[in-house]
Amino acid sequence: MRLTRSAGLSLTSPWILTFGLIWAFPVVYSLYIGFTDYRLLADSYRWIGWANYTELLGDPDFLAALKNTFIFVIGTIPVTTVLALGMALLVNRQFPGRSIFRSAFFLPSITSMVVVALIFTNLLSRGGYISFLASSVGLDPPAHGFLYDNSTALYAIMAMDVWMSVGYYMLIFLAGLKSIPDELYEAAEIAGASCGRTFFSVTLPLLRPVALFVIVINSIKSFQVFVEIFVMTKGKFDTATAVYFIYEQGLTTAFRIGYASAAAYVLFVIIGTFSIAQFLLIRRKASTW
Amino acid sequence: MVGRRSLISMGGHYLALVLTAVVMIFPLMWMFRVAFALPGGGLDLAVLLSADWTIQNFRDLFVQANIGRALVNSLLVGGAVTLGNILFCFMVAYGLARYRYLTNRLLFATVLAVLMIPMHIVIIPLYLLCLEAGIYDSYWALILPWLVNPIGIFLVKQYIESIPPSMEEAARIDGAGEMRIVFRVVMPLCKPALAVLAIQVFFTNWNSFLFPFILTSRDSLRTLPVALALYQGHQAIDWPHLMAGSTVAVVPILAVFLFMQRHIVSGITAGAIKQ
Amino acid sequence: MRCLVFVLSLLWLLSASAPLAQTTVQWWQFWTDPGIRPTIVEMVSEFEQQNPDIKVNLTDLTWASGHEKIVLAFASGTAPDVVELGSDWIAQFADAGRLADLTDHAGPQRPEYQGWSMATYEDRVYAKPWILGTRVLYFNRDLLTRAGFAEDFVPLSFQELDDAVTRIQALSGNVYGWGSNTPEKHRLYKKFLPFFWSARARLFSDDGRFCVVSSQKAVDALKFYKKLHDCCGYVADQRGLEDAFLDGKIGFILSGDWLLKRIELENRKMNFGTSLVPAPDPTFGTGRKFVPGFKTAVYPGRSFEGGEFLAVSATSRNRAAALKLIDFVTSPENQIRFCKANRSANPSSRTAQGDEYFQSHPQLQTFVMQLNLANHPPVDPNWVYMETEIEKAVEEVIFNNALPGETLRQLNKTLTGLLEK
Repeated sequence: MRLTRSAGLSLTSPWILTFGLIWAFPVVYSLYIGFTDYRLLADSYRWIGWANYTELLGDPDFLAALKNTFIFVIGTIPVTTVLALGMALLVNRQFPGRSIFRSAFFLPSITSMVVVALIFTNLLSRGGYISFLASSVGLDPPAHGFLYDNSTALYAIMAMDVWMSVGYYMLIFLAGLKSIPDELYEAAEIAGASCGRTFFSVTLPLLRPVALFVIVINSIKSFQVFVEIFVMTKGKFDTATAVYFIYEQGLTTAFRIGYASAAAYVLFVIIGTFSIAQFLLIRRKASTW
Repeated sequence: MVGRRSLISMGGHYLALVLTAVVMIFPLMWMFRVAFALPGGGLDLAVLLSADWTIQNFRDLFVQANIGRALVNSLLVGGAVTLGNILFCFMVAYGLARYRYLTNRLLFATVLAVLMIPMHIVIIPLYLLCLEAGIYDSYWALILPWLVNPIGIFLVKQYIESIPPSMEEAARIDGAGEMRIVFRVVMPLCKPALAVLAIQVFFTNWNSFLFPFILTSRDSLRTLPVALALYQGHQAIDWPHLMAGSTVAVVPILAVFLFMQRHIVSGITAGAIKQ
Repeated sequence: MRCLVFVLSLLWLLSASAPLAQTTVQWWQFWTDPGIRPTIVEMVSEFEQQNPDIKVNLTDLTWASGHEKIVLAFASGTAPDVVELGSDWIAQFADAGRLADLTDHAGPQRPEYQGWSMATYEDRVYAKPWILGTRVLYFNRDLLTRAGFAEDFVPLSFQELDDAVTRIQALSGNVYGWGSNTPEKHRLYKKFLPFFWSARARLFSDDGRFCVVSSQKAVDALKFYKKLHDCCGYVADQRGLEDAFLDGKIGFILSGDWLLKRIELENRKMNFGTSLVPAPDPTFGTGRKFVPGFKTAVYPGRSFEGGEFLAVSATSRNRAAALKLIDFVTSPENQIRFCKANRSANPSSRTAQGDEYFQSHPQLQTFVMQLNLANHPPVDPNWVYMETEIEKAVEEVIFNNALPGETLRQLNKTLTGLLEK
């Protein structure tokens, strides 16, 4: 495309300004702090090189938090993506009452996460509705409630997270589905393709860019899951995730912000690697039109 | 999708819809019910079944907690941030999607990089920055850092990449200038993505607690989540008032969503794309 | 032009005769819910009326995130003049030199107020006690009666508590004897330490050089706490325990004064009582019988003590005004007013404690008495680490069935390590 560079520059200037003036400093500052022993209330701090990072590698709490974070990501991303796509397909057709259902599906996403977390804490407690449901289908709910048990707490929070985020990703898939021109579907029908075949050969490939967005953004957000843990369990019962660990280390207890920043950058590298992998696997070049 | 639909397929379709809707809606219906319950009540099933209801909780919120002011603040800030994002994210996304220079790839990397740093680490330098720049405890602190949202850039960029460039080519051949093409030709095509962006940005900003809480001190600058959090007392969760508060919080976003969803589903008009 | 000069000089003259420049004091505090905030605002405006040259700017903090905001402010050099701090936060800020030394100012006020020891670090005072808090035993009288106890029964010893809890547990109808806390940060240790201290176990030796947490008394206390949990424990977080207690499902729980407020606000018609934390042997081998209701300082059980304090930041430029505000807010009359509005709370002022309002309210009386029989954790910047370790140890024993003796010995080593830092 022979397009002017100046046009490209002026178009991207809002981000260049925002990043340069606002976000560059925090990014670089936290990287730097990760190499010091800075504690928030201290007067001075020293450069300690990689000491924070080596300590992190041996910190059982950090490793447990990383493990929980991985479980969270790997457990929720596929489920959320598939369910969101399914729901988008469900409401994509023209039928009476469509917008009501669409709104209903989307409603959980726009409710405050804190409030949802509180409601679910209640639902998941020993006398709560979910325990009641579980025992009425013959399952044996944990004695003190789902959130007070090492084996169920994290999964309960994951389920809640899926429930909350599905509506939002459904909307994105819907927008993506709408960008697929009708002619392609017509062409497929004329060519005699079945519903399933059309889905896999027409719909899915054209949804790739949107699907990439959903998966990458969902991963980035899930790697940083925090609010639910903070509201529901405060990291107890093996639910501490990486960001919760960072919060605890940096902004409570001993305010070891240097240590917390180092942990944040370890997480950053992990998320970055994951995202790059996702881009390489899912993306396809835009030039194949 | 065009095609015959058997009764079974339609029935199954509706069943799936209803079941999903129930699962999604039930906790919120509960929240809605408790918002109208008598103050001092709990969250239990008994509340759902009882017939007592009152609007006292809402009245209390507006009178005691000055929710009205907080609502105005949230709407003001949310509106400004959303409008800004629609414009700026679109611009940047187009630039990144269509101008494939190396610097742009690096720029995109910074877009994603900012998303990958936990907010608790960012809050400290951002706080210091706001102090230095003199915008601490002002509307600017609530608006400026959020005017160009990386998620928005990413979303619109992906969407633009899935639009064939044929329309832009056609316009270019017709002799239209760059900016004209960008804003008059491409932007309308991006309505679905921009509508999703609007909802996304508005809603993220609407429910945001930590940054508004840390970056402001004055009562008059309180946004809705901050006002609701401060309404809770020591060691106490007042369920009816809390649920009333979250109902108040949900209504404007729902309105934005209902308004925007037409644009999401309008899609690209058929016949405009040449194969 | 001359008109303009005239107007300007007039304005200048008028401003010169205006009152002296105002001092503005920033106060950050946590009492924000609509039940109590109006009282704070009233107090502030009264203070401003009495001191026309001082203006107070109030900033509200949430209980969940307020601490973060305070730390960020101190770390960036923009701390408020007056800040409300919980007792367990004072040591860190004092150690970092962020709080003004109030020892001289506090000197003459020492006898009047209770709780100075929680604000004293390395022999200097860094904050003034405002509202204190402790934990007492709440019990459901109906359940006790059903279990066959007398109307005025109050457990005085561990044994009696054990007995009562077990008998309530045996009642039909899904009732539990004891409310056992789940591992909740900053809470679990406040529930275990009362038993620990009542058994006369200590965390550290008097000179603070040795950790003695693995003494036999400590092990016994932990075993007792575990016994209550194992046989009759309803496990939930503090909020859940209180919900269940108010629903009549639990016989005994340990809680603070906010529960009284809740009972009143929610119109719960509960037949309940409060009592002091018991001890293993109320006579301590002396054979002297303790008579409940008798104000005595030799009551055996000891509870946990904490509270809200008002401090002045070391970088404040309005120290005199700040101190005036603090003294005003913590004056006996204002404390009584605050406590009445909050329908609970324990004032730090001894005069206030003697007021009719507290003396005539049976439950508040328990709190006032328990405050005089309470211990608090050491004022040490490393306490936050120690607290975490103690909670971990208790968690291990209660929830993962680790052996008390071994766990406490391990804890002893860990705490000794922290002491040496």
